[in-house]
Amino acid sequence: MTDLTPITALGAQTARQETFGALTITENADLGIASLALRKGQEAPTVFGLTLPDVGKISGTDGTSAFWTSAGQWMIMGAGQGTSDFAKTVKDEAPACSVTEQTDGFAAFELTSDAETLERLMTKLVNLPASAFSAGCAARTGLEHMTVFLVRPSETTLTVIGMRTFADALWHALSTAAKRLET
Amino acid sequence: MTRLTGGLIDRSKPLHFTFNGQGYKGYAGDTLASALLANGVQLMGRSFKYHRPRGVFSAGSEEPNALVTLRDGARSEPNTRATVTELYDGLTAKSQNHIGPLDRDLLAINDRLAPFFAAGFYYKTFMWPRAFWEKLYEPAIRKAAGLGELSMLPDPDAYDKGFLHCDVLIVGAGAAGLSAALTAGRAGAKVILADEDFQFGGRLLAESDLLDEAPACDWVNCTLAELDSLPNVCIMPRTTVFGTYDHGIYGAVEKVADHLPVPGNHVRQTLWRITAKSCVLAAGAIERHIPFADNDRPGIMLSGAMRAYANRWAAAPVKSPSDPVAIFTNGDDGHRTALDLIAKGAPVLGVIDTREDAPKFGDYQLFSGSTVTGSKGRLGLTSIQITRNGQSSWHDVGALAVGGGWNPNVHLSSHHRGRPVWDDTLLAFVPSPNGPKGMHPAGAAAGQGGTQASLTDGMRAALAALTEIGVIGAEITLPKAENRPSEQEAYWHVPGKKRAWVDFQNDVTVKDIALSHKENMRSVEHLKRWTTLGMATDQGKTSNISALAVMAELSGATIPETGTTIFRPPCTGVSLAVLGGGDTGKHFRPTRLTPTHHWAEAQGAEFVEVGAWMRAQYFPQDGETHWRQSVDREVKAVRSSVGLCDVTTLGKIDVQGADAGEFLNRVYANMMGTLKVGMVRYGLMLREDGHLYDDGTCARLSEEHYVVTTTTANAGPVYRNMEFAHQCLWPELDVQLISTTDAWAQIAVAGPRSRELLSRIVDDFDISNEAFPFMACSELTICKGLRARLFRISFSGELAYEIAVPARYGHALMERLMEQGRDLGATPYGTEALAVLRIEKGHAAGAELNGQTTAAMLGLVKMVSAKKDSIGAVMSRREGLAKDTRRLVGLKPVNGAMQVRAGSHLFTKGAEQNLSTDQGWVTSSCYSPHVGCYIALGYLVNGDTRQGEIISAANPLEGQEFDVEVVSAHFVDPEGVRLRD
Repeated sequence: MTDLTPITALGAQTARQETFGALTITENADLGIASLALRKGQEAPTVFGLTLPDVGKISGTDGTSAFWTSAGQWMIMGAGQGTSDFAKTVKDEAPACSVTEQTDGFAAFELTSDAETLERLMTKLVNLPASAFSAGCAARTGLEHMTVFLVRPSETTLTVIGMRTFADALWHALSTAAKRLET
Repeated sequence: MTRLTGGLIDRSKPLHFTFNGQGYKGYAGDTLASALLANGVQLMGRSFKYHRPRGVFSAGSEEPNALVTLRDGARSEPNTRATVTELYDGLTAKSQNHIGPLDRDLLAINDRLAPFFAAGFYYKTFMWPRAFWEKLYEPAIRKAAGLGELSMLPDPDAYDKGFLHCDVLIVGAGAAGLSAALTAGRAGAKVILADEDFQFGGRLLAESDLLDEAPACDWVNCTLAELDSLPNVCIMPRTTVFGTYDHGIYGAVEKVADHLPVPGNHVRQTLWRITAKSCVLAAGAIERHIPFADNDRPGIMLSGAMRAYANRWAAAPVKSPSDPVAIFTNGDDGHRTALDLIAKGAPVLGVIDTREDAPKFGDYQLFSGSTVTGSKGRLGLTSIQITRNGQSSWHDVGALAVGGGWNPNVHLSSHHRGRPVWDDTLLAFVPSPNGPKGMHPAGAAAGQGGTQASLTDGMRAALAALTEIGVIGAEITLPKAENRPSEQEAYWHVPGKKRAWVDFQNDVTVKDIALSHKENMRSVEHLKRWTTLGMATDQGKTSNISALAVMAELSGATIPETGTTIFRPPCTGVSLAVLGGGDTGKHFRPTRLTPTHHWAEAQGAEFVEVGAWMRAQYFPQDGETHWRQSVDREVKAVRSSVGLCDVTTLGKIDVQGADAGEFLNRVYANMMGTLKVGMVRYGLMLREDGHLYDDGTCARLSEEHYVVTTTTANAGPVYRNMEFAHQCLWPELDVQLISTTDAWAQIAVAGPRSRELLSRIVDDFDISNEAFPFMACSELTICKGLRARLFRISFSGELAYEIAVPARYGHALMERLMEQGRDLGATPYGTEALAVLRIEKGHAAGAELNGQTTAAMLGLVKMVSAKKDSIGAVMSRREGLAKDTRRLVGLKPVNGAMQVRAGSHLFTKGAEQNLSTDQGWVTSSCYSPHVGCYIALGYLVNGDTRQGEIISAANPLEGQEFDVEVVSAHFVDPEGVRLRD
């Protein structure tokens, strides 16, 4: 265990959480992420018991999940794996695949509220048909000139995963839109 | 007061407002224009050029005259159309474009000087002396000819943006729009119904027509109630769709809080990007006028507008209720105005109809075969001249309605280069059948202006739209409208010698168009530029077709042969604030922060924008009063002890796969497949045309795993190009790519004591020169078990490393290195010192890889391997590039006190200085603490053979020229001993 103390993507010791009316935004600083790409001609493996999802979809549980990012490529996510070598864990699961550590490549913000509020928020953030982006969907899209992944594990949760170095700007965008929903 | 009976205003809700400081009362449901008219105010502004008195001309967003400055202070908003300004309690408005009181404008003198301000006078008058233009003419013209003025204060309100998706977007909520919405809504389609008005109904609110023998607003209210109950229908009042864009995207602005005194917690406006599978364009039509002599006085307005003010807002546009009103028209529609005003009890002089056989529909005087040939009234209309067969008579009137026919609102259908087509029956342009894909014009916008026709056409358009997107719709039961005659004749303007205004906002008259034609401005586009017709806030909505008719008459061509100008979005004014999307200041665009940003901030670093990144530029310390002092100190620290710099911004691309080596061989100019595991190699990438594209390092972590680093600026483009090569050029290769730039915090540890410092944090890892030589790399752990990557590479020329850890540990690692290196003199350095260090070492950066340089120019031609093919390799050997003899050199001023500037051009000493004798240019320069004077890098013809020569560096922009000596580009350790130490 290293004696260096990590900080969150927003530069603090602890993850940020803020509530705006019926909506709460929580920084998930403990999410392990690794990308998994198939080698040429390879069949998609089962990872942690998960069938890797199809285009625009997610699969998995609260513990481990995956979403499609490109042809033959997925992001694998492990809850509570932020400080572990999650890429190695994934590589051990799929040794024939190309696996790359991505945990600190991204900042994940979980937005929780009722479905209607989340969809109203989406209309202010991303150019996606909010009502069609139901539970189980994932997409890569633009948000305030930043590239983000949107993952909707349930009707009441929307996870926005953006580049870590843009974390402050992303929080600003999300919280500004959330505040405006209150008015 | 000239308030009439009835109307759709709420008399139980009085609203108080001021205009030019005078208090007035209106009601909820009023616009500023209707409330002013109801208070007997006709004079609302001054015209652009001649400062003529002007009043309300229309009842919609096409208004050319009644432009006011709304609100005060920072919220002051010039050029606001009184006709679409929803009245609220406490509204303050001021007239604009006058010096002194509105009714005694000093600049009204311009009207006396009108002969000097004819079409094209700018171009003819202010040609000479040339020097006067900027200092005298332009300021004077701007002062005299502006409209409103900006407050020059920051806008205190918030703006927002958003995205909407629907099956059918319906633009306009009049008869056609409402029937379309009902048809599509009942079919279950996802519908957005948008209208710029705060009250839905369009002309149904402005006319006295009955629907199913009941007031039309009853049907409007029932329809809205049903639409509101449908979960698939989104109703958007106060929302203007202003543009048609690619792929079924429409731009719209919702005025969220413009009708409130202050927005409070609301945003003021929202910019919506609406993606619609199909669109029903039910934007209605705009009436045109008939130019006649002195037709611009307050009290003269469009006939349909006068009906709207009477029927919807219960306002007569006269100063006194006893003032009679006249109507001038070329068709049946104008007679409706007379009938409606009579029904409201307003005195009507009669209808002047250009048609000899004009019908009479009621109890009013008919002046058939007649025209209006003049008007009087200094600040408002007092009388008109009616002429029939050359016989004229003057009549006292308080207002005149002018109706010359209706022009469908074709703007949105004409954005994608759709060209409207002329309809000889309607005497108007209608939307092209080849307009934007998925758009279905309907109702008055399609030339179907009658109420029954609009209702039916809206349903037809909606059914067509539904069919197009695969939704089954059904006809709906429509209300029965009254049948109104709508005959008209082609009558475009009243001939005469006096000025007859065509474009009120820009003060363009029939005479101006004739002069323009005489001066050979035969294209409608030339006419527009020569006269300014159709420009400014109203974009000629009430003038363009009349102008085309006048042009056609002058040229002998038809109106369709004369053509229209090109329509471009926005079709109505949109504020820059809402287009900006709402974020201002530091949030105007997102920024990227390095993993050590907060640490650097705490050290008092100055930051510099590098693309989206914020990078520490230098770290001032107590007593340092100039940035050079800080930078010199940081550079010296690296040369003498050890410096630390966050270099996370460099792009990092993870490359894996059985063919990763072969892939990189093809991407890089030099060989990468032969790189040994555990080693790093400097690499050059070329563009396909053979020029240098990017440089960086490539590390081989394992047999099938490389990490490519790019320059900060090219991190994205290089990754994109590699993906393109992977997916499109060589899909047969087994290679997987992904960016890891953000995942790893990377810190450069540079200087003779860097090894000593690193040895204090690595876990059981031998970093001796023997075990870990120059250009070695390895994965390892540091600080008791943290996984890390170590690269022995040097940008500074010193013994140096770059160490990478998961980004969340970057901050702590920097703190640890500073703490562990305190006794070694560890010093943080920023981008300025980084640049000085690399210039001293002669390393290339963006200034040397500017897109026009080659590997040969850098002296690295041998790096373009002849043993393999790679992107750009063949083209780099073409004659034009291969014969370029310019080479990178170092430059040192002969007089050590002189400052060489990047961008200076190089010439042989004593030679004439011009383009043909140009010998090269200075790419980078800095003050070198190591050399003790300014130094520079540059490209020089045959530079590799000219060391020791004295040449001239000339910078005409700075008025600078002095001698420099050509030296080695490696000012520091040219043998490369230090970095291998």
